[in-house]
Amino acid sequence: MKKNTKMHLWLKLFWMFLKINLLSTSGPSSIGLLFKESVGTIMTETQFVEAVGFSNLLPGSEALKLAMFVGFSAGGLPGTVAALLGSILPPTVMMLSVVSILHRFESEIWLQNFVSGLSPAVAVVMAFVAWKLFRSEKNLSWQVILIAIASLLGFLFSVPSPIVLVGAGLLGVILIR
Amino acid sequence: MQQLLELFWLFIKVNLLTTSGPASVGLLYKETVGTLMTYAQFVQAVSFSSILPGSDALQLAMFIGYTVRGISGALVALLGSILPPTVLIFGVVSILHRLRREAWVGRFVSGLMPAVSILMVLVAWKIFQNGNGGLVSLETFLIAAGSLVALLLDAPAPLVLLVAGLVGVFLG
Repeated sequence: MKKNTKMHLWLKLFWMFLKINLLSTSGPSSIGLLFKESVGTIMTETQFVEAVGFSNLLPGSEALKLAMFVGFSAGGLPGTVAALLGSILPPTVMMLSVVSILHRFESEIWLQNFVSGLSPAVAVVMAFVAWKLFRSEKNLSWQVILIAIASLLGFLFSVPSPIVLVGAGLLGVILIR
Repeated sequence: MQQLLELFWLFIKVNLLTTSGPASVGLLYKETVGTLMTYAQFVQAVSFSSILPGSDALQLAMFIGYTVRGISGALVALLGSILPPTVLIFGVVSILHRLRREAWVGRFVSGLMPAVSILMVLVAWKIFQNGNGGLVSLETFLIAAGSLVALLLDAPAPLVLLVAGLVGVFLG
């Protein structure tokens, strides 16, 4: 009987993340949906806030960390695996099918036009997200501005990007209190 | 084999240095365009991973992996993207309370944010210019302005990208 309810929880977690990943397009936008589905049923609001906090704090894909954290709170290690599988499956299946179709149309003129229409929009979206990221520091302190200027100089002098990023992170550890 | 290992390492690196899908685009551009894939392929990868439902970061990784080495490349890229957050989450859950007190990890990520933003703006500028060989045409400018207005009005990014692509098809 006990084993049965556990199995049920794992399946529920799997199905929940399958659904969320089919209905939302990225990490941040999945948070609202996830909140509605999980708080009150499989975890408390405090646990949820903690999960969101930690998935923002650590490097790596937000959506995955959030899923694993929720899975862990609800069902321990097997819950984590169920949540991870549910999150990975939809994008994997979709991406692989789209990508194999796209490569067949590569030389079609309409696809090239589609891409040239996309380019300016992609650029604007990126600049927009960058601005939001920059503003996500609650108070725009001199440390943040200093790190921004230092990394700008780093990029302009073509220092390899990973090195600039690691340096910025270390500056954060030293400077930000 | 060499190429697969390279892909694996690339995505481990990217997932350790950025915190979300959109933020990883800047670093990925620097690391892949010109060496692993062309500019047009990269724009396709970014757009389609944003338009399709599901995690952006994973789809972008798989698209790049597929372009480089087919199905096996896509799977290796997926694995490289999943490994760092998984290991980190298990590490964090087990030492949750100690880490919260020390919080140097949080400061490291706070330090990353401004650098990641700058990188994204620089790459955004490159993508904007490359779209038409350095010359910014009227269409490009109109699409950019339209996208900006839509985003300021809180339109979802995937929708903005989809419409921009369609406008490109009709104007081209």
